[in-house]
Amino acid sequence: MPVRRLSEFIRALRGAGLRISPDEASQAMEAVALVGYEGRARFHDALSVTLVKAEQDRLAFETTFSRFFDGETAEQGADGRESDSVGDAASILPADLLAQMPDEIQSLLNADANALSQTMAEAAAAMNFTDMQVITQQGLYTRRLLMSMGMGAVDDQVIQLSQGSATQQAQADQLREWRGRVREQASGLVRRQFLLHGTGYGRELREQTMRAVAFRDLREFREVQALVRKMARRLASLHQRRLKRSRRGRLDGRRTLSGSLRHDGVPAQLHWQQMPPRKSRIMVICDVSSSVSEPARFLLQFLYALNDVLPQVRSFAFASRFDEVTEDFSRYSPDVAVGRVLDRLSGSGTDYGQMFEAFWRRCERQLDRHTTVIILGDARNNALPEGAQTLAQIRRRVRQVWWLNPEARSQWNSGDAVMDRYLPYCREAHRCANLNDLERAVDRLLLSLKRSD
Amino acid sequence: MKTRIESVEDIVSSFAGQGYICSEQVALAIYLAAQLNKPVLVEGPPGVGKTELAKAASAFLVAPLIRLQCYEGLDESRALYEWKYGKQLLYTQLLRDKLGSMLADTDSLDASMARLGDLGEAFYSDTFLEPRPLLQALRSDEPAVLLIDEIDKADQEFEAFLLELLSDFQISIPELGTVRAKHQPLVLLTSNDQRELSDALKRRCLHLYIPYPAPELESQIVSARVPELDGQLRDQLVAFIQYLREQDMKKLPAISETLDWARALVLLHADSLSQELVADTLNLVLKTEQDVTLARELLPGWLRKFGKR
Repeated sequence: MPVRRLSEFIRALRGAGLRISPDEASQAMEAVALVGYEGRARFHDALSVTLVKAEQDRLAFETTFSRFFDGETAEQGADGRESDSVGDAASILPADLLAQMPDEIQSLLNADANALSQTMAEAAAAMNFTDMQVITQQGLYTRRLLMSMGMGAVDDQVIQLSQGSATQQAQADQLREWRGRVREQASGLVRRQFLLHGTGYGRELREQTMRAVAFRDLREFREVQALVRKMARRLASLHQRRLKRSRRGRLDGRRTLSGSLRHDGVPAQLHWQQMPPRKSRIMVICDVSSSVSEPARFLLQFLYALNDVLPQVRSFAFASRFDEVTEDFSRYSPDVAVGRVLDRLSGSGTDYGQMFEAFWRRCERQLDRHTTVIILGDARNNALPEGAQTLAQIRRRVRQVWWLNPEARSQWNSGDAVMDRYLPYCREAHRCANLNDLERAVDRLLLSLKRSD
Repeated sequence: MKTRIESVEDIVSSFAGQGYICSEQVALAIYLAAQLNKPVLVEGPPGVGKTELAKAASAFLVAPLIRLQCYEGLDESRALYEWKYGKQLLYTQLLRDKLGSMLADTDSLDASMARLGDLGEAFYSDTFLEPRPLLQALRSDEPAVLLIDEIDKADQEFEAFLLELLSDFQISIPELGTVRAKHQPLVLLTSNDQRELSDALKRRCLHLYIPYPAPELESQIVSARVPELDGQLRDQLVAFIQYLREQDMKKLPAISETLDWARALVLLHADSLSQELVADTLNLVLKTEQDVTLARELLPGWLRKFGKR
C-alpha cells in the first residue's frame, strides 16, 4: 500500500476530529514500514500506538479505520451482496450484437462481477476523493468515476440501440438496467469515500454553525452534547489547577534556617511557603423561565463538565419559585436534570427581587471572599421591585458577581428589563446567546479565578 | 543492551519467560519505541502492570532500569542534578589553610580574585555533582531504560521541562551546558490520568493504553504468576473478578489484586470459591468498605448463577 493511502487515512482521521501533527504522521509511516502490511491486527496496532494519543479519540479511530480499510476489501469484490447484484452484461445480450460493439465495451460487458469491481477500484484509485466536501458532490464524483471506467461508450451504445428496431429497443432497456446497477455500485463506493473525507469538512462546518447559532435553535443538532464536552475539556486543560506553588512567593524563614544548619549556617537551600490550595466556590443562579431555560441548560452543563477545574459548584434555579438544583445535576445527566428542574420550578413571572432575597436567606453563611456568584438571566422583572439592594449586599460579601444575559446588549434595558439597576454590582456582565459567547465567558471566569490565588 | 530486536514475538516470549504476560499490542509498542527511538506514554487504570512493563523491558533489553517517581512539587534538583552543598562546604573548611597560603603572596584584592577564579571551576565540577535519575540516564555508559513513573502527579512545569529530554534526549544545565545522551535511553512514562497531560508531551510519545485484561489473558497471567493455584479455581476466580469489574465499584480490582487473592487462596488451601471463603478474603481484592459491602450482596447471586460448574 503506497504512502498515499496512508496519508489519505490520516486526513480522514483529522476529518474525524483527531489532532495529528505532521511529525506523528511520519512516525506512523515509519512504524508501518517496520511492521509491514500483512498482519491486519499488527498494522492496526501500529497505527493506533502512533496516532491515538487520548482514549476519547479511540472510538473515532476505530470507526475510521474499519470504514477505510474494510471498504477497501469490499471494493475489491469480497463483498458478496454487491457482487451478486451486478452480473456480466454479456449474458443478457445476444452474442452477435456483442460482437459488433467496439472492443473496450466488450471487455467491460464481458467482465464478471469481480472483474467489474476490480476495474471500478482501479478507476477510483486514480481519482482524488479527498477534495469532496459537501454531500451534493457525490453525484458529480460518481459520474466522473463511471466515465473513467469507460462507461461513456456504453451510454452511446444505449442511445444507438434505442433508436433502432423493437428488439434493439428491448436490448437497450436491458443494457440501461445493467448500467443502472453499475451506477448504483459506483455511487456506493463514492458514498463510502464521502463518509471518510467529506464528513470532516462537514463536521467543521457544523461545529462552527453550532457555536454561533442561538441557544434555542441548538436542540436541532444531534452532536451538540459532544461539542460541549469537547469545549469544556479544552478549557479544563487550559486552566488546569496548579497543584502546588513552590519556588516562588513568600520565603519560609523557619524551614530555610533549620535546613541551613546542615550546611554550617549557609542557607544553601531556600524553602518557600506553600500556598494553600485554592478554595474558589462558584454559585450559579439560573433563570429557567421559558425564555432563558436553554442558555441555563448549557451553562450548567458546561460548568459541571469542568469538574476538574471547578470542584465546588452550587447551582440554583428560579422561575416562579427559587430552589437549589445542585443535587439534580450531580445525580443525573444534564438533559434529564434540566427536565426535572423545569418540572419542579417552571412557571411564569420571574421576580428577581424575591430571588435575591431567597438566595440571601439560604446562603448567607456560605458567602465569603472565595465565592463567585454568577447570575444568568434576562433581568426582566415584570415591573416588580428589583431588589438591587439585596444584590449589593451579596456583592459586598463575595469576591465577585458576574451576570450573563442571553439577550443582546441593546435589549438589556428595553421593556421590563432592568439590567441598569444590577450592573453597578457586577464585576463583569456579558452577552451569552450562543456557545461561542459561553465559552468566552467561562474562559474569562477561569482566568479571573486563577489570578486571585 | 540488546541492540537488535528480532521481532514482536521475540518480546512477547521474553516477557512471558519473566512472568509478564502481555497482549501483542503492548509488545508492539515496546518494539516500535526501541526501533523508532521514541518514548512511550503508558496509560491505564492503576494496577494493570504499567510499572512492571518497564521492569520487564529492562530485563529483556539487558539494560539497567533507572526510575524517577514523580510527585507534587518535584523539581529539577530532585529529578536532574543537585550540587553536594555539604561536601562543598566541608572541602572549603578543610582547604581553608591551604587557600590562605596560596593567596598569601598576592598583594591586591584583584589578584586574589583572579587566582580564586582559576580555582572556582573546581567547586562546580563533577566531584560535587549529584546526578539524579534523569542525568544518570543520559550519562549512563550503556543504554538504559528510564521509567518516569506517574508523570500526571508532577506539576505542569515539570512536564514542560521534560519536553527537551523526550524529543532530543538532551538537557540543558546552566553550569555545565547541554548534556547530550551518550546512548539513547528507552523512556517509558506512566500516567494514571489524574490530570490531562499536555498535547506537547503526548505528541512526542507513542501512546499505549493498557486496559483491564480480557478473561483469557488474566487467566494466563494468574497461571504464570501463581502456578500453584488449581486450574478450576483459577477460572472461577478470574470470572468473579471480571464480574466485579462490571459493577459500579469505587475502585475496581486490578491484576495485582487478583494475584494477591490467588496467593491468599493458595495459602488457605482452598479448592473452590465458597461463600464464607470469599467473604473472609474479599478485603484483599476490594479496598473500600462500600465496595466490600456491595460485593457481599452480589456474591450469593453470582455463586448461584456461575459458581457451580
